[in-house]
Amino acid sequence: MSEVMINLRRSPRKLLERDGHPGPGPGRLALILARAGVGKTAFLVDVGMDALLSGQEVLHIALDSTVDKVRTWYDDILTEMLRLEKKLDDLAPLQVAIERRRHIHTYIGQSFSTDRLREVAAMLRDVMHFEPKVILLDEVNADELDEEKISSIKAVAAEMGAELWMACQTYREGPQAAPGHLPPPADQFEEQVDLAFRLVSEDSKVRLHVLKDHEQMLDEDLHIVLDPQTQLVTFGVGG
Amino acid sequence: MSHEIQRIRNIGISAHIDSGKTTLTERILFYADKIHAIHDVKGKDGVGATMDHMELERERGITITSASTYVEWEGHHLNVIDTPGHVDFTIEVERALRVLDGAILVLCSVAGVQSQSITVDRQMRRYKVPRVAFINKCDRTGANPERVTAALRDKLNHNAVLMQLPIGLEADHEGVVDLVEMKALYFRGDNGETIEEGPIPAELQEQADAARTTLIDAASMFSDDLMEAALEETVTPELLHSAVREGVLSLDLTPVFVGSAYKNKGVQPLLDAVNAYLPSPLDLPIEAIDLDENEASVKLASDPEGQTVAYAFKLEEGRYGQLTFVRVYQGRLSKGDTVFRASTGKKIKIGRLVRIHADSMEDITSAEAGDIVGLFGIDCHSGETFYADGPRLAMTSMHVPDPVISLSVTPVDSTAQNNMSKALQRFTKEDPTFRVRLDPESSETVISGMGELHLEVYVERMKREYRAEVETGAPQVAYREAISQRAEFDYTHKKQTGGSGQYAKVAGYLEPLEEGNYEFVDKIRGGRIPGEYVPACDKGFQEAMEKGRLIGFPVVGLRAVLEDGNSHAVDSSDMAFKVASRSAFRQAYSRAKPRILEPVMKVEVEGPAEFQGAIYRTLMQRRGNVLGSTEDGGFARVEAEVPLAAMFGYSTDLRSETQGKAEFTMEFAKYAPAPSEVTTELKEKYSGQVAQEDD
Repeated sequence: MSEVMINLRRSPRKLLERDGHPGPGPGRLALILARAGVGKTAFLVDVGMDALLSGQEVLHIALDSTVDKVRTWYDDILTEMLRLEKKLDDLAPLQVAIERRRHIHTYIGQSFSTDRLREVAAMLRDVMHFEPKVILLDEVNADELDEEKISSIKAVAAEMGAELWMACQTYREGPQAAPGHLPPPADQFEEQVDLAFRLVSEDSKVRLHVLKDHEQMLDEDLHIVLDPQTQLVTFGVGG
Repeated sequence: MSHEIQRIRNIGISAHIDSGKTTLTERILFYADKIHAIHDVKGKDGVGATMDHMELERERGITITSASTYVEWEGHHLNVIDTPGHVDFTIEVERALRVLDGAILVLCSVAGVQSQSITVDRQMRRYKVPRVAFINKCDRTGANPERVTAALRDKLNHNAVLMQLPIGLEADHEGVVDLVEMKALYFRGDNGETIEEGPIPAELQEQADAARTTLIDAASMFSDDLMEAALEETVTPELLHSAVREGVLSLDLTPVFVGSAYKNKGVQPLLDAVNAYLPSPLDLPIEAIDLDENEASVKLASDPEGQTVAYAFKLEEGRYGQLTFVRVYQGRLSKGDTVFRASTGKKIKIGRLVRIHADSMEDITSAEAGDIVGLFGIDCHSGETFYADGPRLAMTSMHVPDPVISLSVTPVDSTAQNNMSKALQRFTKEDPTFRVRLDPESSETVISGMGELHLEVYVERMKREYRAEVETGAPQVAYREAISQRAEFDYTHKKQTGGSGQYAKVAGYLEPLEEGNYEFVDKIRGGRIPGEYVPACDKGFQEAMEKGRLIGFPVVGLRAVLEDGNSHAVDSSDMAFKVASRSAFRQAYSRAKPRILEPVMKVEVEGPAEFQGAIYRTLMQRRGNVLGSTEDGGFARVEAEVPLAAMFGYSTDLRSETQGKAEFTMEFAKYAPAPSEVTTELKEKYSGQVAQEDD
């Protein structure tokens, strides 16, 4: 791993590691909760970018976007990271390095299922020797999920030795979180969630709260302020 | 005036090869009274369909280039643009799509949604072209329009809804049930020209009621009035038409029609649907770019009184000289008008204006916004924009990609030599991605383009249309060389051979240039090299870049900076500085760590999901970098970047790995450094060639 790549890691995942909240670990699930439009996809891409820049392979699954659209997210965030570090000259070789470690898999309509995910993972491993350590799952309709479904997705991740990050949209109106529980619809499967974070939009900034840390339910501001466009860290711990 | 524009439909007919689109076009021309007899593709009478006007197309029964034809149907003006089905003809397809406002997507009722249909449909989606679907060949064994409609939904993600039901299928196909008017239509007469209306056959009544309910449910999503009328059971044909039109224009609904063009069934109602549901030029936003304002976007209006902007999307060489097909986007083009070419700013005068019907034409005096017409006597390239006095507007960027593949062509005799020159002159005008050059070393003519098929078709056209019999060499990939680090040069060219000598000294450095191919920077201070010799230095570097020292391909992405030097009052000359610069380039080049760049293609492979693994394998074997994949029902699409050099023969390989069920498209993506094993192989091959030449 080159020095350039390590210095570029501005993802919140890096700060979470430092703050004693590491990634969930193989076969475990970290959930990103937010209302529509707050930046769940950008956050997931940041997590993916952090893993890629650490040399890990990443499988990014999207259920409502094209491959090109997801690629553009990565390209935009990488460009922004390099711009902040004044290293835009490194863009082209870094893009190539990242693309070789990343696979984007999208599903149109109702094509996604745990069985298909397992088959695709096996195909990627056997044919392309691609063994992701991080799986990102975006644009899932959480209303349709329950503990059994989440448990089976986690089982696939465990078989692959990968950690799982999933975005979950919360309701703007309607039922809100009951005390000691995750906000709906994530409360339907909260037992299966190992880490849960919430993106809170405040005064044109986004703050990161932790809602669940393994067995413990909390609602704690991590004092990490993110850029609302890219979800990259603008102020670190204590900011 | 806008009343007239409202009645214009610029439509394409798009489909998989063999879905019968040329036959459908032929029937459209017949019913609109533009031709007096029907000829079929590969017809027994040897005449061939009217739209396939190039001999090659007639023989192969396929449509290669787009031609535009004008017909009138029920008070509407239809410009029908026949679009190529081959994806290798990117420029051709993209130009045709550019001028379309709507399209008929033709599908075969037996083969259904084939992967070529998916590719064409994706292109339409990209250009936001609203479409109606026509399920053709209902007379064929195995016809199943319902299955095809389901595939339109599942594979193409269309919100497809049947507007008609077939009356009988296969050999019993007699006509259609119109689900809006709830009546049966039969097509009588020798050519189906007489439409007979009747009650819905009893055995189809229940099915028709159910299909109409589905249609109203789907259409009511686009009209509150229809939704209300549906609840009150007071749906009128007008309400239903208007809601379907809303759905089509928003690209959220695809009405599906059925029939058999070959058996003359269902074509007239399809034309009615084009009038009713597809947009007029007024219904769609139009954008141009202002070339004097850094290509800033400018909104145009289909207004005959505005500044004239017209786009040349197709050239053809005919008996009367060059025929240029243009779409007028704004203002009007009239005989005698003066307009400007966006690429050069050069003035031209509009001579003869014609409406085109494949191989015949009628003279007109003026064409207004929204229309598609032909111009004679205009010297221009395809893709040109014409504008009237005012801002320098263009419909597309003037950027044309460099070709990525070359082929040497050698005429077999002197007649072929002459004919080949004529053919090449025309092709290069028609297609900016097709280039011709003479290799100074081998004295061979080399043609270059965007893919294997692209070049193959031009070679065929040379033979057929120009009787230029040629032999072709093996396809050559257009490699490039580029330096990867800065390197200094300091070179003195000195020669004394009696009489006046030659003297020039140049010093400076070469460095990689991120954007663009070449830049020359003059940093000479205090007249160390007299200003008059500096352009010769620039020229010297450029000449040296024409042939790199690694494998003899052009060098790109280089900045040459001249910092110092020296001259002699008598012995210095342009020539001496040019030679010095060429030698200085050679001196610095190897120290600047040059590397070979190879063209990399964006490849998309589509096939049944069970072959996804096989598709990955074929791409990996060809040095592919798989970027991602998409699953859509039982179908999978894999996107990858693959070096062009590794793509030769891919279609055969893919066919055998997927039992012929997967297809692919490719287009140029970028130049990227070649891996070391490829570099070594190319260098060895080149040094072998050089050694052979030296012997």
